[in-house]
Amino acid sequence: MYATARRSNTGFFIAGFLLLFAVLTFFPFYYVIVASFSDANLIREGHILLLPQGFTPGAYKMILANDRFIHCFYMSVLRTALGLVINLTLQCLVAYPLSRKYLPGRRYFMMYIIFAMLFNGGIIPTYLIVKGTGLLDTIFALVIPGAVSTWNVILLRSFFENIPESLEESAKMDGANDMYIFIRIILPLSMPVMMTIGLFIAVYHWNAFMDAVIYITSSKFQVLQIFLRDMVVYLEKAALLGDGTMSPDVSSISLRSAAILTSTIPIIIVYPFIQKYFIKGVMIGAIKG
Amino acid sequence: MDLAVKYKYLYFMLIPGVVWYFIYKYLPLYGLVIAFKEYNFSLGMLGSPWVGLKHFRFLFTFPDFYSILRNTLIINFYNLVFGFPAPIIIALLLNEIYNTTFKRTIQTVIYFPHFLSWVILGGIIIQLLGPNEGLVNQIIKYFGGEPVNFLTRSEYFRGIIVGTNILKEAGWGAIIYLAALSGIDTEQYEAAIIDGANRWQKLIYITLPGIMNTIVVMLILRVGYLLDVGFEQIYVLYNSTVYDVGDVLSTYIYRIGIQGMRFSLTTAIGLFQSVIGFILIILTNKIARKFSEVSMW
Repeated sequence: MYATARRSNTGFFIAGFLLLFAVLTFFPFYYVIVASFSDANLIREGHILLLPQGFTPGAYKMILANDRFIHCFYMSVLRTALGLVINLTLQCLVAYPLSRKYLPGRRYFMMYIIFAMLFNGGIIPTYLIVKGTGLLDTIFALVIPGAVSTWNVILLRSFFENIPESLEESAKMDGANDMYIFIRIILPLSMPVMMTIGLFIAVYHWNAFMDAVIYITSSKFQVLQIFLRDMVVYLEKAALLGDGTMSPDVSSISLRSAAILTSTIPIIIVYPFIQKYFIKGVMIGAIKG
Repeated sequence: MDLAVKYKYLYFMLIPGVVWYFIYKYLPLYGLVIAFKEYNFSLGMLGSPWVGLKHFRFLFTFPDFYSILRNTLIINFYNLVFGFPAPIIIALLLNEIYNTTFKRTIQTVIYFPHFLSWVILGGIIIQLLGPNEGLVNQIIKYFGGEPVNFLTRSEYFRGIIVGTNILKEAGWGAIIYLAALSGIDTEQYEAAIIDGANRWQKLIYITLPGIMNTIVVMLILRVGYLLDVGFEQIYVLYNSTVYDVGDVLSTYIYRIGIQGMRFSLTTAIGLFQSVIGFILIILTNKIARKFSEVSMW
């Protein structure tokens, strides 16, 4: 970077604009944090919500005690864990053989999966197939239909291809078969890529919403996003399953905000890792290619 | 067959994936045929009777279809005009910042909304714009104005959709362009300074040409999605009072198809979407090839 200590007006402008955009982006989040700790009645009376009005953690107590919330939270965790395992496993199982350049028919397999990436049947036909395979209204409907992302497979394949052939050759000379090589040699070396892809799969599943809307009808498998939709979007207190025991100093807005915030905690926890693994990866990839 | 035996483990590993693709990618592709059939539950995909172009003829004479199509195109057009340049501008601005701490802090903040679901972000927006307790209206009331129920007003809805989409995605979208910017040769900048170029000239003659390839590719990809306005955002933020401007193809397919169970009709719409999207990508690619040196193929 060329060093010039100019304090030009444009420089100020640029920084200011970026700051404004960042503030605008962050503000809705700040608002929710403030609202979740505020006293509902004060909000109703019209006090402006820029700082917590009447600091109270009551909303959180209510939310964390709510059965349905806990259940849906658990469902999201289950779905994310299941999705992580199934997606990663399936994608690696496809990517590894295709990374072996000597595999006969490799080209045709690649065309098979790339064609599927470019053309798909759409919401309705996929829905009918999901229905037909008996997955409807089970947790597997959230995990199986989207299990393999061709994009990820290609990424994984590139990574596997870049692992030095000598490792495989010497292992083969020692009598190892492909499965052994894959599990004992390739996988341990692939940890960085796995972490990155894994993080994104996890975040995807945590946030996924449309598939739950379409495929899940009974309340048994409803994920957190559905709970939030009922509560925050439908504005229905029914989401809390008919509680007449609403504490008087906690209103819907605080309650909703507490629910939103609690649902975001996993993302917040995972965010620094995403920064560390992915963003660096993108930048490195850019410089290389 | 010797080969199959030799590589049996590898082929074995491929089996789950191949089966998966067949069931969940290729079978639905075949399922598109019900766009030309009258799908009947008990008869299934294979047994339902053919009706040819009946559904397409229906769509093209159905007035609601045009308003939905129009909404989809208009929202996407606004997204293109405002939403497409936003990440580019942000990347360009960030590129001008020398203070790494400031730069990194800003980036951390603006990347974050991308990782929230639309249920969460939309929920927050709904609260902010609420008619009584929402902050925006509280401020309006404070200054003596009348509260406005923004989310039920057709005139505001599209703006809300496009604006919040930018807030959510523009930061993250800048990453691609930041990566492209880092690939520009710094020697060019140094030569430019020696020649006395100012900020604007550097931008026009070095920076923009340097990332033009990336911009074109992203644009081509974007155009392919022209008929595909995101379901989740609209679903969360819309309500029946703004159907006239907010109902798009994807939400309509959901309401009429999944909830209304009119499978054949909505499959026809989906097919229509895909075909048009495909044609658009090819067209844009052709145009791109004429005007710049790069295209997708």
